[in-house]
Amino acid sequence: MVVLREGMCPGLDEDLVRGLRAADIKTVEDLVSSDIEELAQKCSVSYKALFAIRRVLLAQHTAFPVSGADLYEELLSSTAIVSTGNPSLDKLLDSGLYTGEITELSGGPGSGKSQVCFGVAVHISYQLKQSVIYIDTTGGLTASRLLEMLQAETTNTEEQMEALQRIHIFRLFDVFSLLDCLHGLCSGGLQQASVGGGSVKAVIVDSVSAVISTLLGGKQNEGMSLMIQVAGVLKTMAKDFNVAALVTNHVTRGGSGEVQPGLGVSWSHIPRTRVLLERVEKAVAVSRPGLRSATLIKSSRQPCHIKEEFDLQWWSRSKGGPSLGKRKLDETDS
Amino acid sequence: MLGYVSWRDVLKKLTLAVTMQRPVSSLPLSPGMKLKLVGAGFQSTADLILLKPLQLSKETGLSQQEALEVLQAVRKDGGGGEGSTSLTALELLQKEEETRSIITFSSQLDAALGGGLPVGKTTEICGAPGVGKTQLCLQLAVDVQVPQCFGGVGGQVIYIDTEGSFLLQRVIDVATAAVRHCSLLVEDDEQRAAMMTFTMETILSNIFLVRCHDYVELLAELHLLPDFLSDHPRTRLLVIDSVAFPFRRFDDLSQRTRLLQGLAQQLVAMATRHQVAVVITNQMTTRLQGNQSQLVPALGEGWGHAPTIRLLLQWAGSRRLASIFKSPGNVDATVQYRITSDGFRDADQSEQPQRKRPRTQTDQSASSQPDRRLLRCLSDV
Repeated sequence: MVVLREGMCPGLDEDLVRGLRAADIKTVEDLVSSDIEELAQKCSVSYKALFAIRRVLLAQHTAFPVSGADLYEELLSSTAIVSTGNPSLDKLLDSGLYTGEITELSGGPGSGKSQVCFGVAVHISYQLKQSVIYIDTTGGLTASRLLEMLQAETTNTEEQMEALQRIHIFRLFDVFSLLDCLHGLCSGGLQQASVGGGSVKAVIVDSVSAVISTLLGGKQNEGMSLMIQVAGVLKTMAKDFNVAALVTNHVTRGGSGEVQPGLGVSWSHIPRTRVLLERVEKAVAVSRPGLRSATLIKSSRQPCHIKEEFDLQWWSRSKGGPSLGKRKLDETDS
Repeated sequence: MLGYVSWRDVLKKLTLAVTMQRPVSSLPLSPGMKLKLVGAGFQSTADLILLKPLQLSKETGLSQQEALEVLQAVRKDGGGGEGSTSLTALELLQKEEETRSIITFSSQLDAALGGGLPVGKTTEICGAPGVGKTQLCLQLAVDVQVPQCFGGVGGQVIYIDTEGSFLLQRVIDVATAAVRHCSLLVEDDEQRAAMMTFTMETILSNIFLVRCHDYVELLAELHLLPDFLSDHPRTRLLVIDSVAFPFRRFDDLSQRTRLLQGLAQQLVAMATRHQVAVVITNQMTTRLQGNQSQLVPALGEGWGHAPTIRLLLQWAGSRRLASIFKSPGNVDATVQYRITSDGFRDADQSEQPQRKRPRTQTDQSASSQPDRRLLRCLSDV
């Protein structure tokens, strides 16, 4: 994987690197997978020296086995379950978003994905007093709506302002700036964001499909690679910095009209938990217009296809007044 | 035992440091260049950061120019994501409060949208033929120029016409009506001075019309627009009427989806970076589900995510209704409107739909808007 350079390990000096190059050995991978004895003859170096170098390199680049007990201890000390602030969703997700994992929300236009993201961001910043990173790729983030949700929680203006300051927003519109941003967060950005009080507990990407689906389809296969890059860095970030990653995805309609999350099969392996949001059929919705249903379609903890209903108007427990809600569905809607 | 543990920790940190490196394949470079880099054994940015361009071009077979490009991309990444600046929600809120919305001349629709069409967001207007999509666009093209002292935004407009439905005669009607309306509202010297420059001629000269005949022209125009917007910083509105027309007779559907998604991201980026309201119109199509048919916006399910706000214009008997179908900041609502010779207006009070939605919240947000004076006057007209 890594190019051989002098000084990488004891015994690997400039002459040797040059000699190895001549024998077409450029990277650590090449060296490790080559036949040492043959190589020693080709480069006229001692077999012992090469063997030692190979051992050190292997030790440097290997992954180490960890015992289950250690892992469990680490899990107990580092994993947190971040409540979404909505009892129905918490029930669906087995009490909330897990740090170190990617959770996905998918749904059609107007199904409430962004509203759920807003709700989670507000709950974490106000109730849990932790920071949130919100990456907006669709231009859908409306700060006045965040304020409205906060006003339902508290009337104290100062607390509202403090909570808003704990939500850090990136507005990016293409996949390369998203990758830049995520890598930036991994190499120091997350710590910086937590300086203002409260560590970062969640990274929300709304929506991940908007930037990726522009690259998929047609004869380009670079899009697939970039999609996996995004997935990889999201996973690394979630795991290494113990944050919960929440992403949104669009939906596509299958041949027989059934709804399924977008981005295809390769992406479906990435999120640990997937939730599908839908508008509730109109007959029921006339009396309770903000009603949405959430279906669990992938989970490693709960049985799949559990369905919960919740009302976007009553996000924060059940006290927010009806006038503070978001949606009024109309009979004339189609 | 202790020694073993610390050794393991060191190694773990080492492997962590390795995994933290950004892979070369995630850099914004052309696939060919990436292939050459990876082929020469450069997998992560850490391998590249210390190299000189000459060295790199010798080792990989890239030209010196390309090698320089690679190193620039790598070094930029080292800055810790400085290219994309973050802001807190509080700062965003302040920004949102500073920007005014574009009024529609229908006080009810303005109230439902929280003060008018938001600047910096994308709005889609869908509806059946003849329901008033283009009329609303023409009205907005005039409204965006209402001077700031009258509660407008005093901006310019780019109007991309793909259907050939831009009627100059209608613009003149609407503009004359808007000028007449504002001249009735003049109260102080500032407004009197503003009226000197708010005439039908200046309104027409502030509309930049682009006629695109097919989707290639449309996409090309959108690529050039950021430069145009930088040259004309007063532009506050971009209208595309309609986005559906050039894309509807398209054989390769996956190609269409990809182009449309790219177009949507371009529009969102433009709206945010240049503080422009983007208005796109869309046609309706019939979706068959079992033996039921339903009228839905065209261009498919994926496109539905593209606009931030979706406005649906439809007929209900002889009345015209506008519904907010999707909006992150507003309650879904339906209001009635009419199209007069003067443009897009409120329906008469007597014809209002019987059922009313609770308006407490939208009224509050409307009252906080600076253009309230104008709104009130409008409903009196």
